[in-house]
Amino acid sequence: MIEVVEAGRRTTIQDRGRPGLERFGIPSGGAADWFAAAVANRIVGNRQDAALLECTAAGPTLRFDSDAVVAVTGGQSAGIANWQAVPISRGSSLAVGTIAPGLRTYIAVRGGIDVPFVLGSRSFSQRGAFGGGFGRPLAKGDGLAIGRMVELESIATPWPESHRLPARGPWEVRVIGGPQQDAFAADALQRLGATACRVTPEIDRMGLRLETPGLRLQPQEILTVPMTAGAIQVTPSGELIVLHVDHQSTGGYPVIATVISADLSLLAQARPGDTVRFRSIDQAEAARAGRRLTGWLELNH
Amino acid sequence: MPGSEWQVAPAGDRALLITLGRSIDPEMLGQVLALDQALQDRRPSGLVSTVPAYASLLCLFDPEVTDAARLEAGIRQLEGQVDASVPFGAVVDVPARYDGPDLADVALKTNLTPAGVVEAHAGREYLVYCVGFAPGFTYCGALPDQLAAPRLASPRLRVSAGSIGIAGRQTGIYAVESPGGWNLIGRTALRLFDPAADPPARFKPGDRLRFIPTS
Repeated sequence: MIEVVEAGRRTTIQDRGRPGLERFGIPSGGAADWFAAAVANRIVGNRQDAALLECTAAGPTLRFDSDAVVAVTGGQSAGIANWQAVPISRGSSLAVGTIAPGLRTYIAVRGGIDVPFVLGSRSFSQRGAFGGGFGRPLAKGDGLAIGRMVELESIATPWPESHRLPARGPWEVRVIGGPQQDAFAADALQRLGATACRVTPEIDRMGLRLETPGLRLQPQEILTVPMTAGAIQVTPSGELIVLHVDHQSTGGYPVIATVISADLSLLAQARPGDTVRFRSIDQAEAARAGRRLTGWLELNH
Repeated sequence: MPGSEWQVAPAGDRALLITLGRSIDPEMLGQVLALDQALQDRRPSGLVSTVPAYASLLCLFDPEVTDAARLEAGIRQLEGQVDASVPFGAVVDVPARYDGPDLADVALKTNLTPAGVVEAHAGREYLVYCVGFAPGFTYCGALPDQLAAPRLASPRLRVSAGSIGIAGRQTGIYAVESPGGWNLIGRTALRLFDPAADPPARFKPGDRLRFIPTS
């Protein structure tokens, strides 16, 4: 068992989420920085669908009542060696502490966090408050069982820096135009690409609100449509709301462009005040970006 | 679908959004649901799931199996061939307690008495156009013209599950606790979202319902 001694700012149990339920209003969810989560599981030899902990801004303190192997990835934790397998001996504690640079840190435990599946996933869903073992973020005193979701040996050496994503902004985030590009002026996406957008304090797993200094997009109204993670909604006041993994499944603000799935990991680490620049690419380049990251995960380390 | 043309646009690198029209009406919803059904029957390679809403259908795909261009071609093959006569569901009774915090305000705005609002709201069948925004949230229409009311100027941070609201020409039911900007006129004891149930949402687009006042 793992005892939650301090819960941290917002620590939840996540896995790869529950895709396919959007028609019931349920977003796929799962780890916000899917790449860092996948690396953490890979380092400790877990199956890729094993559940782990997602920490936000300030991480938890955990006490282990058995020997364990953990890997901490994503936003940097001052409390432990990051991006490598770390043995934890029975009776000792792991304190993640403050997270910086980055915003979200992942803690994988060899074997995975064993909580019941809800709708096919162990992920906590912010919308609907279910899953994640407790139907809420972790709290002091919670006990976490370690599972048996192991498929490989853990990796002995640190994860190479060349196979990690940038740790801090300014963030270059790649997008594909649409689906409501025609609700905007013809040069709107180009102008957005030339704008240094600023992350506001209003960020969570549902989405990030961004300001666009010097740019005021004025879209036409649209009928409510289904939404995806990565959708860059433009509000009537011209602010951007970039939807993330726990996004609303439908929405009525037009979407000028959509962040590619590979780069959702970057936005998961963006902090208030960071600069984000959107770069428009085509489907072929998006596919290459996705294959690059999955290729890193499949390498023999 | 004579005279209409589907607009197909990428929604990122894993989805296409098919827009069939721009109106909220039963015929348009029928076309969306017919396309949805046709795609579920045919399952073009790489199509993972679909999400219908009002006049559009989102098609999520696996980029390791297909790509946007190939999937679009597969979907376009159905253009003009989809039978738009998917029958809507049987009418489900939704027990409603009309004691919402905005009932008096809505009465004021619509020049009706609170009892008149209840009579107008409960006195008809509604079609479910969309389940979305939050888990199980059920969007229904069309509200009678006389009840059309703008959203609240500032949304509530918490609206409890089961709340019945109206906004514009629509009425809706909150299935889980969430923020919300609709005028709340009542609530239902009917459970609209249950993660342990299959399916987890009580309603789906194309269902019909009516509100039955209870005290």
